[in-house]
Parts: sequence; C-alpha cells; structure tokens
Amino acid sequence: MMFMPKIIGFVCNWSLPAEVELTSPTRIHGYPKIHIVRVMCVGRIDPAIVLETLAKGADGVLVIGCHPPDCHYIEGNLQAEWKIKMLKKLISQAGLEPERLRLDWTYTFEIERFAKIVNDFRNKVRALGPSPLGVGSLDANMFLNINAAKSAAEDFRLRVMVGREELLIEDGNVYGEEVSQEEFDEIMDEAINSEYIRNRIYLMVKKEPLSVKDLSKHLGVDSRTVLGHIVVMRQRGWVTVDRVEGTSPLYTALEVGR
Amino acid sequence: MTAVSCALKRKRKVPPCRVACPADVNVQGYIALLQQGKFKESVELIRKSMPFPAICGRVCFSPCQDACSRKNVDQPVGIRYLKRLAADVEREQGRIKPEPIPKTHSEKVGIIGAGPAGLSAAYELAKLGYPVTVFERMPEPGGMMRYGIPGHRLKKYVVANEIAYIQDLGVEMKTGVEFGKDVQLDTLRQDDYKAIFIAIGTQLSRKLGIPGEDLEGVLYAVEFLRHVSLGEHVGVGEKVAVIGGGNSAIDAARTSLRLGAKDVMILYRRSRNEMPALPHEIEAAEEEGIDLHFLVSPKQIIGENGKAKAVECLEMELGEPDTSGRRRPMPIQGTEHTYEVNTVIGAIGQLPETQCIPPALLDERAHKISIDPLTLETRIPDIFAGGDIVTGPASVIEAVGAGKRAAVSIDRYLNGQDLKVGREEEIEETTWVEDWEKITRKPERYTAPYIDMGRQKVSFVEAAELLSKTKETAMFEARRCLECGPCSECLEGLGLCEADKAVVDETLCTGCDVCAVVCPTGAIRKNARGVAQVDEDLCKGCGTCSASCPERAITMRLATNAQIVDQVLSALSGGSA
Repeated sequence: MMFMPKIIGFVCNWSLPAEVELTSPTRIHGYPKIHIVRVMCVGRIDPAIVLETLAKGADGVLVIGCHPPDCHYIEGNLQAEWKIKMLKKLISQAGLEPERLRLDWTYTFEIERFAKIVNDFRNKVRALGPSPLGVGSLDANMFLNINAAKSAAEDFRLRVMVGREELLIEDGNVYGEEVSQEEFDEIMDEAINSEYIRNRIYLMVKKEPLSVKDLSKHLGVDSRTVLGHIVVMRQRGWVTVDRVEGTSPLYTALEVGR
Repeated sequence: MTAVSCALKRKRKVPPCRVACPADVNVQGYIALLQQGKFKESVELIRKSMPFPAICGRVCFSPCQDACSRKNVDQPVGIRYLKRLAADVEREQGRIKPEPIPKTHSEKVGIIGAGPAGLSAAYELAKLGYPVTVFERMPEPGGMMRYGIPGHRLKKYVVANEIAYIQDLGVEMKTGVEFGKDVQLDTLRQDDYKAIFIAIGTQLSRKLGIPGEDLEGVLYAVEFLRHVSLGEHVGVGEKVAVIGGGNSAIDAARTSLRLGAKDVMILYRRSRNEMPALPHEIEAAEEEGIDLHFLVSPKQIIGENGKAKAVECLEMELGEPDTSGRRRPMPIQGTEHTYEVNTVIGAIGQLPETQCIPPALLDERAHKISIDPLTLETRIPDIFAGGDIVTGPASVIEAVGAGKRAAVSIDRYLNGQDLKVGREEEIEETTWVEDWEKITRKPERYTAPYIDMGRQKVSFVEAAELLSKTKETAMFEARRCLECGPCSECLEGLGLCEADKAVVDETLCTGCDVCAVVCPTGAIRKNARGVAQVDEDLCKGCGTCSASCPERAITMRLATNAQIVDQVLSALSGGSA
C-alpha cells in the first residue's frame, strides 16, 4: 500500500486562504489532504508543541504564516522563523530528519500557492518515509531522543535565547557588546547540543543509575564531555550520586530540580 | 433592555477610526475580515452599525481615514475605498437577502422623510422589532442620496439596492406622500402611530439675495440636481457660473459639464483653504476643466431680454475669523468685474421647508426644529427630529448617526424608560500604537501597494471604478491596517480570535522580559515586583508570548497549549491524511 503521510499544518489565522475549509482533514481543490490547526499567529507555535506533535507520530509538521515583512502582529512570523530554526537543529540532534519540519508563507488570496506548498511538502515527507515515531514503532531509543528534545525545548535556556535572538543581535548584550549573527548561531548550536544531551542523560538515569562510562558509551559522546554535563546537572539539582560501584559513581535523577 | 441601548451604556474602548465615526461603524472589524478575504462577512458587519456600506463607501467624508493611526507611519488606510469595494463585491455577487424581522412590538412608528436619517432610524427600529412606516414625498426613497448627490458620484441603483435591504427587513415605505398635505401629525396619531421621527432635511436653496436673481437662467443647486435626478430636461447654457464652495457647488458644476456646458466656473468668496467641499471632489472638478475663482462674490446678475447675461462680482479679502472659525470675506470697493454667462447656479446654502412643521416644534428664528442634542426629542413627547432639518446641511454619515440615536430614544420612549440615563457615551480611544519607534524601525514591514483610485472620464460613468480593481489589491490595502485598537469584535465567531488573552502565572514568572520583547503591541510590562502584567485592552491574543516564555508561565485563555495539542491528537487519530 502506498505510504500516506500524516501531516499537521499549523496555519496562521491571517494567512489561511479563505477557500480552505476548517474541517480536519481538509481538502483543497483536489490537492492532498492536510490536518489544519488554526492559530492566531505562527508566533504562537510553542517549540514544545511541535515536538509533542512529532512524538505522537506525525510524519511531518508544516507551519504557514504571513509573508515577511508583512505580519498581522508585526513580527510574529519572524518569531516563528527563529523557533523553527532552533527546532530543526534540535530534531536533527534527536536523529529525526529536519526536513520533516517546514515553515512557509502565504497570503489569504494565495490558495494555489497554499496548495502547492502542501503538495510539495507531502511529496518530500513521502520520500522520507514513515516517521520512526509513527504508530506501531518500537524504536524506544527514538522515543527517548524526542522526549529529551522536548524537555530541552521546554527549558529556560533555549527558550530565552530564541526569545532574545533579535534583541541580542540588534542591540547587543547587557554589557553593550555587539553580538554578530555568526557568533550567536555558534553559541546557539552549542546550547542546543548540550541541552539536548543533558536532557537525554536525565531521561536515561531516570530509568536506572548509570556511570559516566555507561552514559558515554550509550550516547557516543566522550566521557570528558559527559562529566562536564553531569557537573552542570548536579549544580542545577537534576541528578545526584546514587551509589559508587568500584571507583565509578552511578548517577540517578532527582525530581525536585526539574 | 435592548441591544442598542446596552451598547451605548457600556464603557467601551475603541480605536481612533471608530471614535471618529458619527455612526460608530466598526472599522477595524470589517478591515480585519477583509484581510482574510471575507467580503460578504465584512459587509454584514458594517450593516450591524448602519445600512449604507456602498453609499458611504462612495460619498462619505470619511473622518475615520483622517483619524487613522497609520497616518503617522505613511498614509492612512484607504478605508472608504475598502468599504466601497466590499459592498460592491457583495452586490455584484448577489446581495444577501435578509429575512424579515418578526414584529415583536405592537407600537407603530412613523418616519417622515426617507433620507439617510429617516432610513437609518427605520432600519434600527425594524431590527428591534417595531412596525415602521416611512413616508416620502418624492417618487423614490433615498432623500439627498437619491435626488441630491449626482450619478457620477453615486449611482441610483446603488442607493436602490441598499434601500431594498431595509425593505427586506420589513420596513414599509410609502412614497409620494407629502407631510403637511397628505399626512399630518394628527392624522398619524389617529392612525395609531405611537412615535414620529421627522427627518425631512433641507430641501430649499438659499437665495442669492442680489439684483437679477429672478432672471431666466438663474438656477439653484438643490433644485437643479433634483430635476436632473428626476430625469427632467434642465437646459444649461454654454457658459455656467456656480456660486458657492460646498459639495453642492461642485456637484452642480460637474453635472453642468455632463449636461453639455462648455465652460463651467465656480465663484467662491473665500479662498481654497476655506472651501467646505471634499478635497478630492475639488481636485476632480479641476481635472475636468472647471475654473475655480476664489475671493469673488457676486454683486448682481446682469440680464438681457429677461435672460441672465453676465455676473458682476466684487473681489474679496479675508478679515477676522467669524463664528464658523473661517476668516470672514470682506468686499474690496471698486473692484467690480463681470463674467459672461448663460446660466448661474446658486449653491450658497440650504434651508428646510418649515411651513409644514407645527410652529411649536420650531426654534425662535423658525429656521429649524429645536431638539435635545443627546436624545433628539422635541418639545412634544412623541415627536423626535434629526438629520439636516436639525443640523443644517451635513453629511450622510452624520444623518445615519442621528437616525441611530433617534431609534434608541424612540425605543426607550415606547418602553417608558428614561431617555437620558446612560446615554452620555463613555468611549475611550485606545490604541497600542504609541511607540512609533516600534513601527518605523522596520519601515519595509508595511509596503503593500496603495489603491490607485483612478480618475473618471467626463461622463455619467461612476467616478472611481473600483470594482475593476482586484480583490487582491483590497486585501493588501486592508493589511495595511495596524489593527491598533483593542479586539475589533468583528463577531466572526470562529471560536478563536483576537478576544483571546494572555494570562501570566505570577508564581512562575521570573521577570526575564522575553514576553515584553516579543509582544507586538506592548501589552506586557513588568510591575514593581518584576512580574509580567498583561494589559488586556492591548493584548490581541497572538500567543507569541506564551510560545516564547522561558518559564512557560504564560498561557492563553482560549488557545491553551493543551487545547492545541488536543487538536493535534484528534487529527492524528483521525485516520491517514
């Protein structure tokens, strides 16, 4: 049987073509169907919601807002752009193809463009194949990965960085130092990487106490880096030493710090 | 209490455009619907406030546009053209035919005069469930919209179409019935009319009051335009001089041109700045080749064989400002000069026909009906009056406003309620656009093309043929609206709209300020304790703060995260797509 991808479309109230009926799934002029969730602004798309959608087995997530530089809410579409940029990096950390997530723009009168975007995206997702998180998937590792990504997206650090990206680049940091886009991206990449790994570690030690060596082997990250993360996580009150086996301490998760 | 009176009682916060509108039209609301391409819905929203979207889209002096916040960025949104386009699209695609409103009241209301004031009052009262009859002297209803404003500005079928909507609601119209002759206050009362609204307008032209005004070839604008509208033969000579500087003067001049006059001039005693006519009408007149002569006033009309031959004028200079605030024109002696003409059209003002009105209603100078400006009640309890008969010649939209106020008063009067309580409208102008920095910082954000209104040829073809413009242009223009007021209450009822508000969980907020950075309308500020506070008048429910809050301390009232995830889950479980 041909693969019929499940696609969720988050569409802005002000760019959703008038012809699109808000039934789920909706059908446009014989173009492929898509499940549309209407939001007031694509800026409303919480990164955690996108990851939840992927975790629940959607094969693709399409986010459609107003063409920049036009936005009903001045720059809600740019807010969405920054969030999606971060999300793409985060899901590729989790081992999911970033192409499963796409942001695009339409105007209310661009029904053909809207249909074309949906069609192209659907073909793309079809080429990628079913999501490893889809119905019936038994890939426990992938579920841990996506949940780690979701936790990272719910945490303060990535959210505050995304929220302040524009301000940091345009106005500089609180010390009056200018931050270039390249510098910011570098810091952001590092933050995404470490926050993802920390949350992944947290989910692992939540199941059973593990040593740095075990974690390093599992994650394919060198033990020095893992130890660095453990130190930060202990400071944050996420983990503590459960017991010491031989010379290696085994770490376990704390509920309190989260 | 009825819907209309409730609406007036509530303290309301509305954007500048709506504050400026005499008829309280929800401008931001219908513009928001146009942005989404919902033309019919936007027309229906306008009809909640007044019955003449297509008419006002053509002839309104659009105070909303003058008040538009967007003027501080570049140019105001083309509100009038958008309204016109929406109404025209609806008409061309088949006007919505409303169901007659059931008559829930037994008290009959009589309305005298089917102009904009009378028809608006009839419209509002019919919506409240009153049996309403409108009496009109002329063969067709519409008043000045039908017999005053010429066809090149306002087509008769446009007027007829909007009046048909009012008739569809169940308003009875009796044309060819003259007040004071065919019906009297007494006969109306005998026929069981419990309240009467007099809105007969100003149907007479003010006489020039100079020697020679009785000569053949001396016409007056109101009568002239009425005869042309009735399709009667009105001969104008090759050379026409119109005296006056208001819209009637421009209408008479442009109509003369269309009737075959070769040489049309307007003589106005003040300067261009003082002209009461709409600026774009003045420009249009000039473009059509009409000569405008300023600071001239006629002294006498010179005749030959009983026909007007020339106008002798004096030059004027401007003195101290008079009661109208405009500088008073003073004649300069010895500056007599003449203009050769065949026809003179006086357009220096309009007067009501007061002889049909009981003297008890008139003011001391017997010029107009004296009323309470808030309630429009006259000295006789069951009689109300409004529109031009009270204010002197004004605009369609002001007459609509008067009709609406009269409807509220009549409803209260018939229900035995106090006419005044809560009527002082508490309207507060509210707009988030205070921080121009925020808008102008990125000027390229608002570069959608403007509507080019285009100019008409010299003919009776409607002035600006906006219907030929695509809907796309209208949607672009509508998108220029900054939606600067609080929720526009476009009443679209999709369950999710700008009425959604952000709610801060103060126990989670750490005062990081991200919400304030991402909020497009500046609705979130930190209070003294460093906790984010949402100003609900400014919050427009976009939810960007909720999606960005690092502590996830902000939720939306309607579109919560859980609600969105629920939609996703039900979509995912709903089979393949």
